[in-house]
Formats: sequence, structure tokens, C-alpha cells
Amino acid sequence: MVVVERKELSFLERIYFPAILKGLKITMSKMFAPRFTRQYPEEPLPTNEVTRGQPRLAVNPDDTIRCVSCGLCEAACPAYAITIDGHETERFIEREPERFDIDMLRCILCGFCEEACPKDAIYMSNELELADFSRAALVYDIEKLKRPVSALQDRIDYVKKINDRWQTSSST
Amino acid sequence: MSMILIWLLITVACYGAVIGTAALMTFAERKVSAAMQYRYGPNRVGPFGLLQPLADGVKFIFKEEVIPAGANPWIFKLAPILTALPAMLAIAVIPFTGVIGTFEGTEVLGSIANPEIGILYVLAVTGVGVYGAILGGWASNSKYSLLGGLRASAQMVSYELSLILAVLAVVATTGSLNLHEIVAGQSGWFGWNVFSQPLAFVLFLVCSYAETNRHPFDFAECEPELVGGFHTEYSSMKFAMFFIGEYTAMVVMACLTTTLFFGGYLVPFWADAPWWMGLIAFGAKTSFFLLLFIWVRWTLPRFRYDQLMHLGWKVLFPLALINIFVTGLVISFGPGAN
Repeated sequence: MVVVERKELSFLERIYFPAILKGLKITMSKMFAPRFTRQYPEEPLPTNEVTRGQPRLAVNPDDTIRCVSCGLCEAACPAYAITIDGHETERFIEREPERFDIDMLRCILCGFCEEACPKDAIYMSNELELADFSRAALVYDIEKLKRPVSALQDRIDYVKKINDRWQTSSST
Repeated sequence: MSMILIWLLITVACYGAVIGTAALMTFAERKVSAAMQYRYGPNRVGPFGLLQPLADGVKFIFKEEVIPAGANPWIFKLAPILTALPAMLAIAVIPFTGVIGTFEGTEVLGSIANPEIGILYVLAVTGVGVYGAILGGWASNSKYSLLGGLRASAQMVSYELSLILAVLAVVATTGSLNLHEIVAGQSGWFGWNVFSQPLAFVLFLVCSYAETNRHPFDFAECEPELVGGFHTEYSSMKFAMFFIGEYTAMVVMACLTTTLFFGGYLVPFWADAPWWMGLIAFGAKTSFFLLLFIWVRWTLPRFRYDQLMHLGWKVLFPLALINIFVTGLVISFGPGAN
């Protein structure tokens, strides 16, 4: 059996007012304490190179797209969010995408496309915001996905560092 | 003709001030509570979110009105009016400031009406306020609403006694029921009734929280036990009327605390202050008590129901009786008795 022994309250404690005043003092002091709330649209979420946001296509400084429309990301995508049609070019790499759609409503931001890509063409950017008035508008086409390499540089370096880890630590 | 115009002006100003303050209080409540919890509170509508009450009002008007099946529609519709009306009627006698000036041989006072039985009128009118809660609770055909209404009425009965006895002590020391005379009786150094009647002030303060259904005595709308209490089934503007009634009652109670215990519109250490200074002094004192309403709400937890009854009948009521008895003795036999 549990016996709870309660402290006998003194008269000052039983009239409550000292305790109430103490409580009021605490709440008033908290009123001027710094606030935790993030004012979201004005203060965006902090992102860094590890942030796995929406996938974007890297565009070289000379305005050529890195993607060769090999279709590996399309195959790797577990949500079937990527659709690619390619065509031939006069350039050295011979092929480039004609159509490259990512259905952002299907995309689960898993990063498999980034891993699958043999040409370092698709990267998970730090862009996280996704909102529109129709489903159709959220199927991003190639023009919406293109980002200059400079904008993705932090992520590119990070992915390279992660991949290099296997080369340096391997003992075989 | 122009005398009527002045009366109209004063009426509009008084009602506008009190109901405007009540609307602002809904905003202040959220803002202060947010600050006490390290948050910002509403800050999107207008500068600093100041237009939030307006947005809330628009929202309430456009919401769907639901009358539950089995409810008594007439009483259901009457209840919100009965809650908001008494609080608004009480505004009529509150002295916001002293003599503004003389016009056509008549003194224009800083209150809408100045009856000889001012404080009696306020007590009578605010006492009706509980009918809104109990009728609303009964007419809703919902067990939670009924329990909320019952609690409200039981609470009112137990606390109104102590409240009136506390006021009676003030009336006894002043020797008048007229609110302007009660204010005038508090002039001079330490003339405020809070210094001569500290116990009555504490009793009045505690009871006014119970009267306005505020924390820590808000049993009529105790969320964890009763969903929303007597207004569980209400929606749209009818719910807003309960809200307006509650906040107007709060403003009226803060005005009464100022008038009865803190010298009303008297400016400390400035006997012949102009009327607008009195208005500012009254506003400042009342604002403090309004802040106290919010401040206490976000500091104290809610009582238990048996504790509430215990406090009302076994602590506050005997204290009020002792207080009025001692006051009577001092007035009859103490210094200054004839």
C-alpha cells in the first residue's frame, strides 16, 4: 500500500497569495524573454549541403545541360516521378534530354536519382518549398528544373566527398 | 436640442470605448499569452496584428449557424443576447471621468447616467448575466452544455454574495451608492478605498474573477471536463455574442475595481486635474486590471470544483461577513463616529 504523506501547509502557504504573486512574477518575467517562434516566410528554414530538397538538373557554365538522357534516374526512381525523352545532338556527348519531367507530387525526395546519375547531372537542391494551385503546375518540366552548377556547388562537393569516402577507406 | 446631442455623444463615446476595449482584449489576451509562452501571437493582420479582432468578427459572421436537433430554438437564440446585454447595460453608470463642463446650466458628467443608486444598478444588472449561461446550457439539448450552465449558476450564487458584501463595505465607508460620490470620497493622501478596505478589495478581486467566468474559476467552460461548457453547441455570431459578453463583463469589472477601490478618475497628488487627465488616469488604472485578468489566467491552473465551492462558502463568505461587521463597528464606534 502506498501512503502519501502530504506536508502540512503553514498559514502563509494556505492563503495562497504569496505563491500566486510568485507565479505572477515568473509569467511577467517570461513576457520579455526572447521568443522561439520562426516567422516562417520571412525567416526561411536553414538549409545546408546535407539538405535533401527537390531534385534539380545541373547546367554547365557554357549553358549546356549535363544530362545525357540515359534514363538511369528514371529507372531508379521508386515513385515513378521522372519521365525522360532524349534526342541526338552535334555535341561531343551526343545526346541530351528533349523532355525531362519530374512530378513533384510523386517525388519523395529520396535522392536515388542523384545516386544513379553517371554524369553528375541531377542533384538534390536545398529548395524545399512546393505550392501551387493545380496538380498540373506541379509537374516540373526541364526549364523549371535547370539550375547553374554554381547554385548547386555545395551539394556537388558534398556528394563527391561522400562518394570518395569509399575509395580512401577501402583496404583492398 | 444640443443637450441631447451631448448626451448622444457621451453615450456613443462610452459604449464605443468599452466595446472597442473588449474587442482589443481578445487580441491582447492572445498577444500576452503568446509572449508569456515565448511566442509572437497574431501578427499578420494589420500592423502588429491589430486588425485581428476585425478579421475574427468577419469570420464569425460568415460562419454557418447550427441549431442542434431537439434544442429549444427561441431560448437557444435568446441566451447569447442575455449574456451580452447585461454587461453592456452596466456601462451606462460607470464614471469614466468627472465633470466635463457646464452646458445650459447642467453639469455634464463623464458617465452616461448618474443615478443615486449607481452601484446597486450595476450589481442588479450584472447578476442577470448568468441567465444567458444557464438558458443557453439548458436549451442546447446537450449534457455538457447543461452541466456548464449548472456550474455557472452555482458559481454565481456562491460568489455574488461575497462580491456584494465586499462592495457593501465600500458603500458603508463612503455613505453613498452613487458611483461619482464613491469616487469623490476617495480623494486625498491614501484616500483610495484599497487602503481603508484592503480585505474587501481582495474579496472583490477574487469574486470578480468568478463572476466573469475567468481563470482560475472558469468552470462553466472548463474544456477538459465539459468540452466547451454552456456554449458547446453554439456557432457563428451566437458564439461571438457569448464571447463579447464575457469580455465586456471583464472590462466592466475592471472599471468597477478602479472606481470602487482605486479612486476611479482621480489623479493621485493632483486634486484639481482637468477632466481629460481624469480620463487618462481612469484608462491607465483600468488597463492594469484588464492586464491582471489576462496575467492571472496564464499563471494559475484551474481550481477543482469542490475547491471552488469550499473557497466561496467557507473562506470568502465568512471573511466578507467579518469584514462588513468590523467596518460597521468602526463606523459606529471608531474615530469620527458621531
